[in-house]
Amino acid sequence: MLLEVRDLHVEFHTRDGVAHAVNGVDYGVEAGETLAVLGESGSGKSVTAQAIMGILDMPPGRITAGEVLFKGQDLLKLKEKDRRRIRGAELAMIFQDALSALNPVLTVGDQLGEMFTVHRGMSRRDARARAVELMDRVRIPGAKERAGQYPHQFSGGMRQRIMIAMAMALEPALIIADEPTTALDVTVQAQVMDLLAELQREYRMGLVLITHDLGVVADVADRIAVMYAGRIVESAPVHDLYKAPAHPYTRGLLNSVPRLDRKGRELDAIKGLPPSLLHIPSGCPFHPRCPMVQDVCRTDVPPLYDVTESDADRGSACHFWRECLRG
Amino acid sequence: MPEQPYEPERAVAGTGMGGQMDLAASEATTVEEAPGGPSGGPSGGPEGTGPREKARSLWSDAWHDLRRNPVFLGSALVILFLVVIAVRPSLIASGNPLQCDLARAQDGSRSGHPFGFDGQGCDVYTRTVHGARTSVTVGVLATLGVALLGSVLGGLAGFFGGVWDAVLSRITDIFFAIPVVLGGLVLLSVVTSNTVWPVIGFMVLLGWPQISRIARGSVITAKQHDYVQAARALGASDARLLLRHIAPNAVAPVIVVATIALGTYISLEATLSYLGVGLKPPTVSWGIDISAASPYIRNAPHALLWPSGALAITVLAFIMLGDAVRDALDPKLR
Amino acid sequence: MAEPILRVSGLVKHYPLTRGILFKKQVGAVKAVDGVDFRLDRGETLGIVGESGCGKSTVAKLLVSLERPTAGTIHYKGEDITSLSGKALKAVRRNIQMVFQDPYTSLNPRMTVGDIVGEPFDIHPEAAPKGDRRGRVRDLLDVVGLNPEYVNRYPHQFSGGQRQRIGIARGLALRPEIIVADEPVSALDVSVQAQVVNLMERLQAEFDLSYVFIAHDLSIVRHISDRVGVMYLGRIVETGTETEIYDHPTHPYTQALLSAVPVPDPQAREHRERIILAGDVPSPTNIPSGCRFRTRCFKARERCAVQVPALAVPAEFRSTSGPAAHESACHFAEDRTNQA
Repeated sequence: MLLEVRDLHVEFHTRDGVAHAVNGVDYGVEAGETLAVLGESGSGKSVTAQAIMGILDMPPGRITAGEVLFKGQDLLKLKEKDRRRIRGAELAMIFQDALSALNPVLTVGDQLGEMFTVHRGMSRRDARARAVELMDRVRIPGAKERAGQYPHQFSGGMRQRIMIAMAMALEPALIIADEPTTALDVTVQAQVMDLLAELQREYRMGLVLITHDLGVVADVADRIAVMYAGRIVESAPVHDLYKAPAHPYTRGLLNSVPRLDRKGRELDAIKGLPPSLLHIPSGCPFHPRCPMVQDVCRTDVPPLYDVTESDADRGSACHFWRECLRG
Repeated sequence: MPEQPYEPERAVAGTGMGGQMDLAASEATTVEEAPGGPSGGPSGGPEGTGPREKARSLWSDAWHDLRRNPVFLGSALVILFLVVIAVRPSLIASGNPLQCDLARAQDGSRSGHPFGFDGQGCDVYTRTVHGARTSVTVGVLATLGVALLGSVLGGLAGFFGGVWDAVLSRITDIFFAIPVVLGGLVLLSVVTSNTVWPVIGFMVLLGWPQISRIARGSVITAKQHDYVQAARALGASDARLLLRHIAPNAVAPVIVVATIALGTYISLEATLSYLGVGLKPPTVSWGIDISAASPYIRNAPHALLWPSGALAITVLAFIMLGDAVRDALDPKLR
Repeated sequence: MAEPILRVSGLVKHYPLTRGILFKKQVGAVKAVDGVDFRLDRGETLGIVGESGCGKSTVAKLLVSLERPTAGTIHYKGEDITSLSGKALKAVRRNIQMVFQDPYTSLNPRMTVGDIVGEPFDIHPEAAPKGDRRGRVRDLLDVVGLNPEYVNRYPHQFSGGQRQRIGIARGLALRPEIIVADEPVSALDVSVQAQVVNLMERLQAEFDLSYVFIAHDLSIVRHISDRVGVMYLGRIVETGTETEIYDHPTHPYTQALLSAVPVPDPQAREHRERIILAGDVPSPTNIPSGCRFRTRCFKARERCAVQVPALAVPAEFRSTSGPAAHESACHFAEDRTNQA
């Protein structure tokens, strides 16, 4: 396992109390694999990623328990100096908003080159040459000239390519992409996702793709982890999950997407609202919205059960996953 | 509310995409976004509000924060005290600030006269207490004038834009170019009146562009919000847009800056009086006293220190109050 | 054909780019909307799709008279509303209301929910007698699925989906005939989007509303729309019924757009044929000559740079009555049947 997150807990101290953002998350990624972490806002998917990267704001955030094993080493136990060496070189991140993730007063070429001068100790000249090479690699037309331009001179799609180039620069073993195409238009989104998938295949990187878009997941992921209220509620290979979800939340999400055969009828919306992280419901956090809720759901927190009825390695945090799987 | 029975549904990619969706159940799903969920439990308010059951506006939220802020409480107490003695100085100082006895000039503190006497033999304690009235009057009136003039002009310029705005912006630029102390020396030296009004007038004249800029900026920001567009699409008049939608959302920065400015106006009054162009005796003012005491700083430092201290504490109190109010009103800092 | 409730012809909105402080000189223009025609029939939903910067939000603002068009007309029940002002404009506004994209900025944070939903009655006092307003507001909240007890709460105490319901209640207050919805669900979570779409469909049937539904999410537009217009750089490039556009697109831009949408079905990814467009959308200050899509088009030929294609049923489909016979602004229109 390239990356393994075990029983991670993160909380935030706010004006109104303690927000339990991540409550025991486990997931793993192999080299060359794409894991999609699917969830809505407040599900804890981005906070988990920030904890892995070591860029969580602490305070107000606090990691209260858990391990983040990267190549067998627990990142949470490392000194900041050692983490910094891993970050960027072995573990890189792509953000949703490329414009704010890039420094507006430095040229794109300088920012890309910095990766090589800082981590690899290259001369400025060599670093610049490598930067242009990278921009070529992510198919930015006229890379040589454009390396001297500033981030605001690029379009949204081009900026996201630069972010990808920066993440790829030191050929990391794992990339975490947090909603990399959400801010982009559909046609540009397709270009960027294609590029990311291609580079990943070429370098056999692990990719954690954080998204709320069921369509993007279906397009590129190998495995999916569905998050709700800071927990993984379902984890499965992508084909199995779309074929037959083993958690009512996953099923609800899939059903709420407009589809051809539902034209002219009501969408099957999930009732109610995502819970407040300050007051996570007792038992299964999904129980107030669940169509198949039973008494046990209100009292007992379901563990991530092994879904034994399928050959694939999959899990569901629903007491009634068997019923759910059967539909 | 009764539990919904579990309705077995087809799997997503399953074959039987039949239409036997329970209509009653689907109706319920749309209407049931109300918090508390289907169990109708006591889980309370909408998402994120939790224990806060009562309706609260942003102002009451700000007040909730302020009440717990020691900086606010401290500065508010100091200011409250100042206002009280400005209105009724005789509450704590029964003497007459103008009754002086040259025989006691520069004497130190003694029973009944804790701060001692100044160069003219006046009681420093009485004069310091009575000086608060002048400072608070000048500060409050100048701030009110500046805030009214500045926010009306700036607000209208920001709202209507165009030529109005361009002209006003150039005028404020010109005012910003005038050095305050030099301007005061020139303008006020020709005035012979013995009241506080010329000083206040001067402060309003030079102070309004600062507030006008801030008011203009925050009106422009507020104007762009969708709720203003929404009201406009409903057919709301300009007056309604300004008074109901824009002003309440643009006023916070003006209040903050005006509070901080109040402190600086008090110190400006002292500066001008010290330079001899502000207030003039027999008006009792900290600036006049500081000016009068400075030649004797070696022999009678107490005559300088007490009014200076009062001035410094007052200015600091207003600045800290402004800071505390800003923190409470600016949700982005939370 | 009966007179449509709304007919838009030749609609243009250019924002001048100026230089200078007091004496402004025009140096160019952002051509946000550059010649748009469509009609909206009573009770139907017209979907407008397009990518960011295509001008769809400007169209929404023009329809509700938040902006004045540079040229063109908007006929509401046969009357041109673009030149109205004062009382006449206010009267028309009662009938054309808007739902905004961002539920966080479209509600005044200093007003209670009751004041927000009741404001239309303050502005149009003739719409409801004074004593009746409180009750009307509670009814409206009930209609959009919110607890009427919430009238005294403030917007920041609600989640995004609930806020959008408040915005819909405000839009509904004056019982308009037309609602222009500009990306009404794109700021919401997936599980809440479906609730709001369902609500809008229910209200349409209940109050006999006509919708102009503007969005970039093609699958939601397909679900809710009867007819669809596809916009690119300030113009509608293809328009037709929902089936015509989605199953038989003839304009290369529509084809590329549809093929790029990720489908929530991993089975589809192996045998899906995707058209990946090159490059980015050109700037609306500098629109390409001829066909505005030609710089990214995989079919572009010389003719496209010279001749502006008209939005009309292409000649080769004119004689057929099949689903490909709908308006498409392309010289080389071809039916690309999509089987979903």
